[in-house]
Amino acid sequence: MHPRIDQLLSLRDGQPVDAATLEHAESCAVCAASLHRLTQRRHELQNLPPFDAPEIDYSLIRARAAKSAPAARKDGYQWSAVAAAIVAAVIAGFMAVDRDRDAPAVQVHHPASAPADVPALEESQEPALAQLVERSRELDQLLQNMPRRPEVQRVSFAGTVDRLEQRVQWLDMQLSSAPDVAADEALSRRMWRERVDLMDSLVAVRYAESLPRPAFAGEPPG
Amino acid sequence: MSQFQVVEVSSEVILAAAGGDVHAHEQIYITYRRVVYTLIRRLIARPAVADEILQDVFVEILRSIGSYAASGSFGGWVRAMTINKCLMHLRSPWHRNLLWIDAQEPEDAAHSLDAVAVQGETLASAGQDLERAMATLPALTRAVVWLHDVEGYTHGEIANLLKRTPSFSKSQLSRAHARLRDLLDSPDGSVPCIPVSTSC
Repeated sequence: MHPRIDQLLSLRDGQPVDAATLEHAESCAVCAASLHRLTQRRHELQNLPPFDAPEIDYSLIRARAAKSAPAARKDGYQWSAVAAAIVAAVIAGFMAVDRDRDAPAVQVHHPASAPADVPALEESQEPALAQLVERSRELDQLLQNMPRRPEVQRVSFAGTVDRLEQRVQWLDMQLSSAPDVAADEALSRRMWRERVDLMDSLVAVRYAESLPRPAFAGEPPG
Repeated sequence: MSQFQVVEVSSEVILAAAGGDVHAHEQIYITYRRVVYTLIRRLIARPAVADEILQDVFVEILRSIGSYAASGSFGGWVRAMTINKCLMHLRSPWHRNLLWIDAQEPEDAAHSLDAVAVQGETLASAGQDLERAMATLPALTRAVVWLHDVEGYTHGEIANLLKRTPSFSKSQLSRAHARLRDLLDSPDGSVPCIPVSTSC
């Protein structure tokens, strides 16, 4: 039986494959040709011509860089606390308004009670870096599985979500590109911790946003 | 091979830029704008979005160059920043909204295919076919192919960037190559009519 394409790709990239696959690929003309095509394709991709950059007024870039102070220099925990306060206020408001409504169709995590499939981190002890990364991934996954955001968004939600996402994006960039972060485990853990907190908040806001909008006096139902 | 390994600026320029020298900043921009833009266009299909991200990347570089520790290559640092900006866009609600709009407006697909074809007119035939075939892949899959096969990222590194698992990266690469094989390795060597993905 011919190897699958992922096995051929492993062969192409010099990754370990089982002996039977290797033996087959070496003796089978069809697989040798497939392997050659995959190698050739990588070569073609690497040799695609570059795009010409658009003509951009460089002074605009310089002006933007000068204008936008590095907001990221704020202390992370302080930022998390602000986000958490916003989220708590939003959720409290919605819980008060929606107390009598049906439970939402989708179960999501919010800071007060984690669902069973996304176990909460222990508050009493500092979690390991790997735990934080894993928890962060789970929250990413949870967020992706949430329903699409409403087409008409309320300003309070849109602003909060936007600020949370911007901070998460900045953290992502620092975590994957800043050399001092990679070298300093304590800093790395602190940033991952902040990311988890922010993702928690983001999920909570998205949850609150997905709740049915309260009807006002005189407004038709639905 | 990644073009970021070919392009370089001197350490004097980097030091000067870190110290706030505006001429050094501009030199970095001039040196890297083409490779940065090419990488962005490989990951983000919409030219208008790519143009915006190009600006964002250089704004970020100018703002952060003081924190560049010179422990790795400067090109690698610029590349990481570029990739992050692209992935931020792909993860953003703005991108998801664009996908929704695309789904509502099928004529966009034809427009995008035309754009790819126009770009491809200046290319050799094989490259043109490959450009078109790549444009049919979903954005995330295309990113995995490019990061792995061209930029040389490992599956573990890609998983880290995408906040997914290495298995996810591997499966995306396999699916992409299977798709490219179906599109490009037809018996008569011709590329069938390709319905292009409009995802960024």
